[in-house]
Amino acid sequence: MRAGLTTSVILHAVALGFGLLSLKAPSAFDVADVESLPVDIVPVSALTQIQEGDKKATMRDKPAPTPTKRPDIVADAQKTGDNSVDTDKPPTPEAKAKPVQSSSAPPPAPTPVEKPREEDVPKPKEAPKPPPATEVAPQPQPNEQVKPDPAKQAEAKPEPVKQPEPTPQKPDAVAEAIAAEQPQQDVQLPDQAPAPDARPKPAPAETAKAPERKDSDKPVKEASSKQASQDKSLDDKISALLNKEKASGGGAKRSSQQASLGGEKNTGGDKLSQNEMDALRQKLGGCWSIPAGVDDAETLKVSVKFHLDPSGQLQDRPQVVKGGAASGPGRTAAESAVRAVQKCAPFNLPSDKYDTWSEIVVNFDPSDMF
Amino acid sequence: MENIALAEPTASLSIWALFMQAGWVVKLVMLGLLGASIWTWAIIVDKLIAYARMRISLNRFEQVFWSGQSLEELYRTLADRKTTGMGAIFVAAMREWKKSFEKGAKSPLGLQTRIDKAMDLALTREMEKLEGRLGFLATIGSAAPFIGLFGTVVGIMTSFQAIAASKNTSLSVVAPGIAEALLATAIGLLAAIPAVIAYNKLSSDASKLAVRMEGFSDEFSAILSRQIDEKVVARAA
Repeated sequence: MRAGLTTSVILHAVALGFGLLSLKAPSAFDVADVESLPVDIVPVSALTQIQEGDKKATMRDKPAPTPTKRPDIVADAQKTGDNSVDTDKPPTPEAKAKPVQSSSAPPPAPTPVEKPREEDVPKPKEAPKPPPATEVAPQPQPNEQVKPDPAKQAEAKPEPVKQPEPTPQKPDAVAEAIAAEQPQQDVQLPDQAPAPDARPKPAPAETAKAPERKDSDKPVKEASSKQASQDKSLDDKISALLNKEKASGGGAKRSSQQASLGGEKNTGGDKLSQNEMDALRQKLGGCWSIPAGVDDAETLKVSVKFHLDPSGQLQDRPQVVKGGAASGPGRTAAESAVRAVQKCAPFNLPSDKYDTWSEIVVNFDPSDMF
Repeated sequence: MENIALAEPTASLSIWALFMQAGWVVKLVMLGLLGASIWTWAIIVDKLIAYARMRISLNRFEQVFWSGQSLEELYRTLADRKTTGMGAIFVAAMREWKKSFEKGAKSPLGLQTRIDKAMDLALTREMEKLEGRLGFLATIGSAAPFIGLFGTVVGIMTSFQAIAASKNTSLSVVAPGIAEALLATAIGLLAAIPAVIAYNKLSSDASKLAVRMEGFSDEFSAILSRQIDEKVVARAA
């Protein structure tokens, strides 16, 4: 037995010794370092209510859209405005300069600026000014020999038509007469001058333009009936003639402030979000004891308007705007709606959107509750 | 986020470190199982040696017994020595035989039964020697896993309590305690598996030896019975 025990002890000692020496701590698993994903909890309003700004800018209290650069005005641009066709014709330059020079009266200058599209309207009115108006047409003349005819015809025709309008002409004539005499009074004149001009604009503008094109097209066809393709070029020329816009890269909303965090465009920034609306609706629904069991359902639909101060307190007694009745169930409904608003009173709404909830109109409709 | 003190990732997980980390109950279980394993292997080694010797001695005795040597001479050589196995049975039977005839027992009727009884007794003693302590192997084989499991359960219980106290469920905190607890089960299995295998082998070996010795005792009994009958006939004649 002793032999067995000694051998056994020796065996165990050897095994344990071997195990303790050779079986070291198991090597750790190679775990790839996985970076934890940052997760933001984003309210719906963050997506539905975005202020215009820069997506990468830091957040600021006051939103500001991306600053825009004023597009450079290209001296000899081929395309003007929204034109899809490239025209070789430069846009007709504004007529401002020349009349100013010729008449040597600075104040009347602004009036032609507003007018250019309805050239014909103002031209007939002012007896001395027609020359500046016609000067617009003469400029393209050197470019194209075909056009002058329609232009002249267009100008010629409307003139007799509008001459019958005596009323606007008179003040103008008088005013210009005064302007010519007294340059100091010119300051007053521009104020008066645009007003009478503005009245006739809408009606004659359409009527005047329509005949223009017909007249201009017809003579062209008569004159150069051989080539149909000329129509297009003529159209371009005409549009170039009519185009008074300066060649520029298009307008943009101006913002000189540095952009703050925001989206590409505004998507209803200050409105109450759907969540906030729901919360308000639920709160009011809880405060509202619904008038029960009446057949006249229409009078039970009540709209209540009330004003809140920035702390969410009622500023005045809620007013029934729509629905309800003076007596009977309608009155009960109206009163219950008003009571509901008063009972719920201080409303917990986001203070930064106070502008939107300073005045609230709530529709109480019992049919929604059942 | 607050930096919660984690279990040292450098904590050694070697077997010795695991043992030292364990609680005293688990340590006790582990030590007990280690002792059981040592005793098991001691028994295994002892039994293997004993059975091998027994097989050799049986072979040698059978060789001598069937060599045609007279039983008287054989008895004389064996009587003084310490005998095992078949030799012990032979000596027991021959002693009974001698006693009966030296004292001049007249009736041989009871002699046969007495010799058989003496041989059975010797056989039982031999078998006891052979099969002694095999029961311990059987016990270790069946109980050691449970003892180890007990240690594991206790260890896991304490480690879970520690985890609850540290308020951190990261795996690096949970793992060492469980690994340490599982060491107890590992040691239990380490002790139990050899014990079960050895028990099965040794008990079958012992039964083979027992069959051989029983066969010898039957044969020897037959031989003696024949001689008794011859002597009775000789006396009668």
